Amino acid sequence: MAVSPLPLYNASPRSNKTKPLTHRPNPKGSSADAASTPNPKSKASIDGVLDLAERLNAETKSQYIKGKWLGKGTYANVYEAHLKSNPSQLFAIKKMIVGAEAKDGLSMDSIREVKYLQELSHPNIIKLHAVFSSKNQNLNLVLEHLPRGSLEQLISEGDIQYGSADIKAWMGMLARGLHHCHSNFILHRDIKPGNVLVAADGELKLADFGLARSFADPWTRMTYLVITRWYRPPELLFQARHYGSTADVWSVGVIFAELVIRKAWMPGGSDLEQLHLIANVVGLPTEDVWPGVSKLDGYIKLTKDPAAPQTPVQHRQQMQREFALVGPEGVDLLMQMMALDPRKRATAKKVLMHEWWNMEPKPRRKEDLPRKVEKSKEGMADALKRKPGELEGGTGRGDKVARKIDFGAFGR
Amino acid sequence: MSRTAPRLGPTAPKKLVEDGDICPVCKSSRYLNPNMVFKVNPECYHKMCESCVDRIFSHGPAPCPIAGCRRTLRKARFKKPNFEDIQIEREVDIRRRVASVFNRREDEFDTLLDYNNYLNEVEDITFNLIHKIDLDATEKKLAAYADSNKQSIQANVSRASQETTSFQARQAAEREQERLRREAARRDDEEKKRILEENRRNILNTLATTDGDANRIAKEGQRVALKKSSARRALTDRRPDVVASDPFTAATANGNADGGAFVIKGLKKVVEPEAEKPYDPFGGLSDETQYYVLQDTYQYEDVDKYMSDVQYTAGGYDFGEWYSRALCEAFSGLGVFIGEETSGRDAAAAVPIAMAATAATVVGVEKSADDVF
Ligand SMILES: Nc1ncnc2c1ncn2[C@@H]1O[C@H](COP(=O)(O)OP(=O)(O)O)[C@@H](O)[C@H]1O
Ligand SMILES: [Mg+2]
Ligand SMILES: [Zn+2]
Ligand SMILES: [Zn+2]
Repeated sequence: MAVSPLPLYNASPRSNKTKPLTHRPNPKGSSADAASTPNPKSKASIDGVLDLAERLNAETKSQYIKGKWLGKGTYANVYEAHLKSNPSQLFAIKKMIVGAEAKDGLSMDSIREVKYLQELSHPNIIKLHAVFSSKNQNLNLVLEHLPRGSLEQLISEGDIQYGSADIKAWMGMLARGLHHCHSNFILHRDIKPGNVLVAADGELKLADFGLARSFADPWTRMTYLVITRWYRPPELLFQARHYGSTADVWSVGVIFAELVIRKAWMPGGSDLEQLHLIANVVGLPTEDVWPGVSKLDGYIKLTKDPAAPQTPVQHRQQMQREFALVGPEGVDLLMQMMALDPRKRATAKKVLMHEWWNMEPKPRRKEDLPRKVEKSKEGMADALKRKPGELEGGTGRGDKVARKIDFGAFGR
Repeated sequence: MSRTAPRLGPTAPKKLVEDGDICPVCKSSRYLNPNMVFKVNPECYHKMCESCVDRIFSHGPAPCPIAGCRRTLRKARFKKPNFEDIQIEREVDIRRRVASVFNRREDEFDTLLDYNNYLNEVEDITFNLIHKIDLDATEKKLAAYADSNKQSIQANVSRASQETTSFQARQAAEREQERLRREAARRDDEEKKRILEENRRNILNTLATTDGDANRIAKEGQRVALKKSSARRALTDRRPDVVASDPFTAATANGNADGGAFVIKGLKKVVEPEAEKPYDPFGGLSDETQYYVLQDTYQYEDVDKYMSDVQYTAGGYDFGEWYSRALCEAFSGLGVFIGEETSGRDAAAAVPIAMAATAATVVGVEKSADDVF
């Protein structure tokens, strides 16, 4: 058995690289078929493998029944699905949209997503259960079902109420997921609230690995056209082609800020405007704070609005005011994540080692975290207003509960 | 006080309801004494005025003055009725008393059916008490249940009060948060005003000390200010006012269900709540490896030339990250034991095949397409 030196979650003795990818409720002797696979060196046997592959693909595909449409991202439609053998077990099927950029009939994004997701196994990273292709070589990813929406909704839907203990819990889960990616040498490169989904038990899951890649060799140039603009760090806006994992940390820092202020923090309408927003809100990228920045290909000399804080001290004071909710330690962590110079920015590991996690309040337990759509606690008056036999609205289990009025609460 | 049609139960003391405005004891009337307050004692629910209560019961327990009643009443138990109809007052009191004893919650039951059966039983008891059916036996049942379920009843009482407190605490926290946001916005505005004022003074200074084009300098200052304020507008809060969310998710402890005459079926097993561990930001993940210790730098000729390249330093490229990846890949083979691998092949062979439909392309791309990534 191969033992990977990779850091593993829960230190399972099995390498996560050789973990079976498919979810197999009914093996139907398929592994016996696989065992008879001949030596793959001969031409005939490659055909044999492909035949077998086709059969297995059809088998995987037939195990799932596709259901209602869940959402659309940039590159894919996502549908609910369940197991044919067990309709109560839900999944999400992400069906990649075949685009013009598709290469050999497969889009690069789906390849990336499969390649990196299958290497990762962590409570804060979406789980990939299986993969199959449908017509046009269209890839379908069978993912774990995450029914409670994304961070985007938690941030912007005003009737969801939360405080600093909730923010700390969410940030903790997000930072753990990111740290696990980076410990496995994977850059996510598209972290934003819409790509952080909420599981049924309240756990946050980093999703959408369509732009992920592994840490590059020094001689490889990477593209700077990654990460949605509002969450894109200044080195990518300056078109750096050799960047590190702290690019992702910037995105998580922006999410941290948005969780506090509950609106977009730096919603740039263009790359240039994005740079101006960063200069005004975070600070001016100069050779002083970021040695070498002016040598980057896309560097532009920026100026500040007169109404923006002018000195680093003023920036810190403004942040202390604006993010008072998370306390001075929380602001310090945020500022470390928002360092302009990517080398001075905190790594995911450093984020997790920050003292903020140990300050009061403690992170909220995940089962107590606020969620979308809640029924309010009804008093006796509401119960009495209902006509006899009429029950609460909604589709929850509460519908079938006998009508019970809280007499204890009355007349106290 | 208005008169409503009397709702008569099987033993309704009819007279009381009809003489709503005259005290049956002292016969004083509300017309002469508009501040008159009526009270009842749940012992018999006979209504009388407050001054009669004071007069008759101030010196200790005494018999009810209503003809034919003679129940012993205590002053402390007199109260102002909530309902004009004394039958309803009595029913609500009984329901409250029963509910304070039978205070099980839905989540204590295995199934919804069990919970509904329980509610049904409780309603039977309540009905009997209200309509005085099998009164003695029913009271005994209630007492027996209360006695043998003390723990669970107490647990649910404190659970309910905790929920009220945490609900209030959360509301308070939310108000505080709102206040902080408003405060931040206000100070932000002040700061902006201050900076703009400073800027205006700077323009004046520049005008005073240089011979530049006055118009241009002033316009430049204005332009910047305008741009800033429109950028602000774009950032306006998209959050509507907040409504309280539901904080009712506390854990519970069940008492035993050996209630003698009253047996509840389908109660969940009591699960001891886990002791709270200190928060571990890493959540159990260790990134130490047993195979090697990462050095700060490695001598590697091919790479040295990149290390001082500003495109790498300013771009944030981290050679440490790359070393760790390279070392990990180098050590990936170390734990392989050929014997195990071959005997485990039967099972392992199935692994990559889920992807075989696309395997050929995936492998091909991996080698040649790094620049596309
Ligand atoms: N596992 C899932 N469970 C439930 N909904 C999902 C799941 N994955 C994605 N979605 C929904 O589909 C949307 C797009 O998914 P995403 O993976 O971000 O696709 P894209 O790569 O196209 O951006 C998400 O914002 C979410 O609403
Ligand atoms: Mg997406
Ligand atoms: Zn009187
Ligand atoms: Zn009486």
